[in-house]
Amino acid sequence: MSIRSGITTSLTRWVFILPIAFMMLFFALPMILTAVWSVFERTMFWMEPGFTLFSYENFFTSARLLNFLASMYHSSIAVLICLVLGFPIAVFVRRRIPQAAQHRVVLLFILPFMVSETIRVFALRPVLQRNGLVNGALMKLGVITEPLTAILYTPLGVIIGEVLSFLPFIVFSGFLAMEAVPRYIFEICEDLGANTFRVYKDIILPLAAPGIFAGSVFIFVNGIGVALLPNILGGPGAVNAGLIATQAISALDFPLAMAVSAIMTATLFLLLYIGHRLFDLTHILDPVNK
Amino acid sequence: MNQTNKDRRRLIGLAGAGLAAGATGFRSLPAFAADEPLKLWAAGIAKVGGKDWSAMEEQAGISIAYNAKSARADEAMQKMVVGDGNKLYDAMTDNGGGMEDALASQNAIVELDVSRIPNWKNVLPTYLDGGAAANTIRYEGKVVAIPYISNADSLAYNHTVIGEDLNSWEALFDSQFKGRAAMQNDYGPTLTNTAIYLKSSGKQDIENPSDMTPAEVKGVCQFLIEHKKKGQFRTFWDGFQNGVDLLASEEVLVSSCWEPIQIVAGKKSAQDIRYGTMQEGHQTWNNVFMLTKGGMERGQEEAFYKLMNLYLDPWFGSRTLNGLGFTPQMTGVNEYIDANPKDFDDSAKATMNTRLANKQARIAVAGNSWQNVFPTHIRDYQDWWARVQSA
Repeated sequence: MSIRSGITTSLTRWVFILPIAFMMLFFALPMILTAVWSVFERTMFWMEPGFTLFSYENFFTSARLLNFLASMYHSSIAVLICLVLGFPIAVFVRRRIPQAAQHRVVLLFILPFMVSETIRVFALRPVLQRNGLVNGALMKLGVITEPLTAILYTPLGVIIGEVLSFLPFIVFSGFLAMEAVPRYIFEICEDLGANTFRVYKDIILPLAAPGIFAGSVFIFVNGIGVALLPNILGGPGAVNAGLIATQAISALDFPLAMAVSAIMTATLFLLLYIGHRLFDLTHILDPVNK
Repeated sequence: MNQTNKDRRRLIGLAGAGLAAGATGFRSLPAFAADEPLKLWAAGIAKVGGKDWSAMEEQAGISIAYNAKSARADEAMQKMVVGDGNKLYDAMTDNGGGMEDALASQNAIVELDVSRIPNWKNVLPTYLDGGAAANTIRYEGKVVAIPYISNADSLAYNHTVIGEDLNSWEALFDSQFKGRAAMQNDYGPTLTNTAIYLKSSGKQDIENPSDMTPAEVKGVCQFLIEHKKKGQFRTFWDGFQNGVDLLASEEVLVSSCWEPIQIVAGKKSAQDIRYGTMQEGHQTWNNVFMLTKGGMERGQEEAFYKLMNLYLDPWFGSRTLNGLGFTPQMTGVNEYIDANPKDFDDSAKATMNTRLANKQARIAVAGNSWQNVFPTHIRDYQDWWARVQSA
């Protein structure tokens, strides 16, 4: 083996090793530590090594479980709304926009992410509040006579926030998924006279399912994890898993915060496992236009 | 002074002190460090007199390196007890009534020598008489903190819409304000204020609203759950801006909140939003300054005491009262205001006098209860608060 090919082989090996090392250090290790710390004993100001399931018992036998389940329910609704609104956008861009412009159109959906999430969510309040833009417009148009109070500081307010914050995820993943659907299939469907509903139901959805599922998981996990949304848009005591963990940290109950994080991670893995069994998620990265 | 000048001055100071240290040996090290700015880890409400700290620096005659600090007890404990807070900060703020004990018990802060603070003679007598307020600055009988602001939190209400004055926490639970009432999303003040109301109105037997037994916590939370289920609360507010927006936008008409929230909401909405005196009592609290162990080791005591002298000067007290509505912690504020008409016009003077009179009325209410950062049964507080939230 020449010196040059030896260096190339060595470099190639490092190209694989470095990402693995990175993921181990910044992803796997923190997750392992989260699980380990969740069974530590709580002290007044920190925690000490030990083994107790008290934090898990605390979570599953208290109202925190109900809060967690409620946030899962609200996130599921947000996922459905995002699917109904976002996926047709992805399909439209893929099918109707000239190929050269498609990526630019999708990039437009990145623009909101250039603004801090806190500001984006906070900016919803003047829009949705009692004397906000929505109520003002509806009252001026004579659609309502009293301000709507159900759209802010309610679970609906949180769902609206989740949809507006996370809709781009389903557009991106839907668009990527649609790239895996060969264009000639649409032409065949049109030639055979299939209507739009059947094309969606029998062709697009099955083929794009892995991508749609991935986008849905992104939205769902963010919905139960981003503490900002229930905090700013939710009603009295609106809470999700992220906020439960934050509150546990505020109360210096670090093992409980770790347990909540571990439960969230387990929920995510369970979802991914189910998704993989149903849709074979490895297809997400299949070659384009095969 | 701009940053370049500050850096230059610091560099010259360091070089000079370094030479001095070299000449006199390592015993000069604290003096060497004393030329460094005092590294403050403090809440933004600790500053008056402008947008930056220059007015405070000028008045105290020291240089300050400010670091913003949240009000979260967990952050302070993590940083100072298990983190690197003592390396980073010379002085810090937090709530008296728990935090000073916790930090002192962990050797994160040091005992103070009040004889080095000339204005200590001004401190409110309540800090000297051995009562609840006096305990908030002491650990095992020794002074470890200097108070700089305090208040008795109360009920803010929209007088323009309601058309009458409110003087009872009952308003928060009154069906005429159904869906237009808010409380803080924090079990500490919310459970304490509710307990004060329930105790004073004879609706529940509660020994100490600031340190309830598990059964008392349960009773208070069940009361809140019952009203929450009836739709009494619009929301539980979180953070200063949220509290302001709720009142200013008329989302809520009554809210238990901090006084600056009422002041800013009133200015923002141009409505008559008032801060009442509750007949049942209030949760009283203070915020205190502490010298970290690291600050003392770095020779920053002198700068710390100079700054504390300013915090006990009516110069500071009058400005925090005027700007944020907090209670000054020293005597002589009225005299200072009268003696400085250029700094306080008639309108400001009238507002400050009204605030001071209202504060005195609130502090005089018999049912007041001092804030307790770490109640004995904190787990029960947390668990029951989670139930209130999920109800």
